[in-house]
Amino acid sequence: MEQHRLDAFQVIADPSRRQILHLLSKDSLTINSLAENFDMSRPAVSKHIKVLYNAGFISIQDIGRERHCILKQDGFKELQQWLEYFDAFWGSKLKKLEVLLNEKSTKK
Amino acid sequence: MAKIIQHQLFYPNPPQDVWDYLTNAELMAQWLMPNDFIPVLGHEFQFKTKAMPDIDFDGIIYCKILEIDPPQTLSYSWKFGPGDGTLTDSVVSWTLNEKDNGTELQLIHRGFAGSETMTIFTMMDEGWLKNIQKILKLLNTTTNGTTQA
Repeated sequence: MEQHRLDAFQVIADPSRRQILHLLSKDSLTINSLAENFDMSRPAVSKHIKVLYNAGFISIQDIGRERHCILKQDGFKELQQWLEYFDAFWGSKLKKLEVLLNEKSTKK
Repeated sequence: MAKIIQHQLFYPNPPQDVWDYLTNAELMAQWLMPNDFIPVLGHEFQFKTKAMPDIDFDGIIYCKILEIDPPQTLSYSWKFGPGDGTLTDSVVSWTLNEKDNGTELQLIHRGFAGSETMTIFTMMDEGWLKNIQKILKLLNTTTNGTTQA
């Protein structure tokens, strides 16, 4: 199955995938126990898990006989990177606005 | 972990002056980015800046005015992407308050990829440490620690 790599925002744009992350935030779960929380087929759940795995939101560990899904920070870091980028962006733009407005108020 | 982008500044200018800089395309270009903004509810416009392929950003921000109430509130959608048609959604909101012979300006930028994104961030904050500890415990008891956490 060739999966186009989605960016972090596209990955979490899907409600089922957010639900998976939410469930995993409470505890690590096997693919089977994750699938029990959804109406969709197990292959459909596996597909979402693969998307989350590819984007670095989860890791999969073989523990005993079972495959466990565990939250991983990498995917979240990509989201955070965007927030930080725009945070710095606005900070510098607003400084520029301050200079312009100061010039305007002293001219009066 | 930041859940929202928020800036609050005070400018020694009346709200109307600050408002002009937020809603006049030429004035906006002086501090923000070149754009084709028109202060009309529902108007769609774009900001253009340099592309940054490193972070999958083609340099165009697609916007639509969602709320405009001069000279107090302004909000617009703020969508960006790598240039392949996929866009990340967010919303920029401005609030102006007259205060001490000047204007208090508040900027809130939120809603990246839908409003629930922030819930995930909250969840990460609350659950992350506990989760990591649980995982470490689980891994330590069942494997020989082949993974570095």
